[in-house]
Amino acid sequence: MKRLLGVALGILTAIGGFVDIGDLVTNAVVGSRFGVSLVWVVAVGVVGICLFANMSGRVAAVSGRATFEVIRERLGPRAGLANLAASFLINLMTVTAEIGGIALALQLASGVSYMLWIPMAMLAVWLVIWRVKFSIMENVTGLLGLSLVVFAVALFLLKPDWGALAGQAFAPSVPGSEGPAVYWYYAIALFGAAMTPYEVFFFSSGAVEEGWRVKDLIQSRLNVLLGFPLGGFLSVAIAACSAVVLLPAGISVTTLSQVALPVAQAGGQLALAVLILGVVAATFGAALETTLSSGYTLAQFFGWSWGKFRRPARAARFHMAMIVCLLAGVTVLSTGVDPILVTEYSVVFSAIALPLTYLPILIVANDPQYMGEHVNGRVVNILGLLYLVIILTASLAAIPLMVVTGAGA
Amino acid sequence: MRKQPPPLRKPPEVAGRLLDAQLHLLDRQLLDVDGVPVTTIDDLELSGPEHDEPIPEGAEAPRITALLTGPVLGTRIFGGRPPSNRLIRIPWSDVAEVGTVLRLGVKGESLDALWVERWLRDRVIGRIPGGSHDPE
Repeated sequence: MKRLLGVALGILTAIGGFVDIGDLVTNAVVGSRFGVSLVWVVAVGVVGICLFANMSGRVAAVSGRATFEVIRERLGPRAGLANLAASFLINLMTVTAEIGGIALALQLASGVSYMLWIPMAMLAVWLVIWRVKFSIMENVTGLLGLSLVVFAVALFLLKPDWGALAGQAFAPSVPGSEGPAVYWYYAIALFGAAMTPYEVFFFSSGAVEEGWRVKDLIQSRLNVLLGFPLGGFLSVAIAACSAVVLLPAGISVTTLSQVALPVAQAGGQLALAVLILGVVAATFGAALETTLSSGYTLAQFFGWSWGKFRRPARAARFHMAMIVCLLAGVTVLSTGVDPILVTEYSVVFSAIALPLTYLPILIVANDPQYMGEHVNGRVVNILGLLYLVIILTASLAAIPLMVVTGAGA
Repeated sequence: MRKQPPPLRKPPEVAGRLLDAQLHLLDRQLLDVDGVPVTTIDDLELSGPEHDEPIPEGAEAPRITALLTGPVLGTRIFGGRPPSNRLIRIPWSDVAEVGTVLRLGVKGESLDALWVERWLRDRVIGRIPGGSHDPE
């Protein structure tokens, strides 16, 4: 019974933890401009993140090595440093976006300007990282994040023409009002939002934090294979909501309140309150994950002592690095830059940096010295290689498309 | 008709394990005797003639004398060599085990390689309330 509860908790946490500010904003923007014609990208992204999160979790559980140790070990110091620089900058952008997201959600709830919420959001994130146990942190934010299910409920309440939505989703085409370059630019953004590298850094380091062993692999696989697709389903619901309400009204999403609009229209104040709770939990959880990931990547590259299972004084450089990251994020936000804009760029840059992260995982997952009998099977390797091709294509196409489309304008 | 060359002698048996320095030592994580991370191995120090010096006949094969860390990582990436007094050395004699990680047989507390960690702990992180308690 206790084991079953553990499994259920893990799955629920994975669902609630899947969506972050990047998924929220990108899906709403895409829904309001392209309807549900890009839903297939979410599906492709979710399969990819399942594949590689599972692989990095297995490497961590079997060998005790987290992803960035593996990256440095396999790519060597030069390519490793290039990856560190790219991943760290994107992580920092994501931290910034998530803290901005918490503050924007609190503004939506209170009417007090988000600028005033930023320092408090940062302090709260830091306090949790400083003092709260890893498992509690994960479970609370994950479970509260489940309130984003309100998007799916709202979609039902909106009574859309299901046939038309399904037609759009399963026979995708570029809508007449948009050019193909913009369509593909947003396809890459959605892909980046679903496969953000911090998720595997966090997932593999979390496996080390929680002391996973080989016997825990079945549970971790269940968490990933059920939790992430259901999380992806939430992403689709967000896109569908804005496709049903915002697209016909000609509203393009530039603020968080526009993301919330379909939910408020369908379910009134109560639904809006649940939505705000969900957005705060999801962005707060993701702010924790990205801040920790900044610490994890640096500590694992340089070989510092790291982890929340240690007292902060036993991982001094790790905690110092995270404090500096949080301060840097808040400094960026205090310039008045729009957090939604930061989010939109961060997901595209994520897509650019993907290959450097996923290639070493695939290599080490095939190395019997690390993995013993738990090396990748043939099917996983074929899928892994296929995804590397997709990832590489997306990564190479991202910057040209960004230039051509003026960042999707 | 070409003369068959004499068959090659079999190479001598290698005693112990064969390690590729690049693959099995460099860039691996180093842990102390209690399993606490110390550093990543940034470079190795070898005995024997200096770089660019001629190697005398019958010279002894080089041995690893120390693991290196610190500024040497920068020079390994961008080229050049740090002055030898800037090298942070961990003597090879302290290494107890070589696997997917290297383990030392000594505590990290006494190592030069951890001075930044100790400085930050004593001056900053340890002074913030709650810094020396387990998370709850």
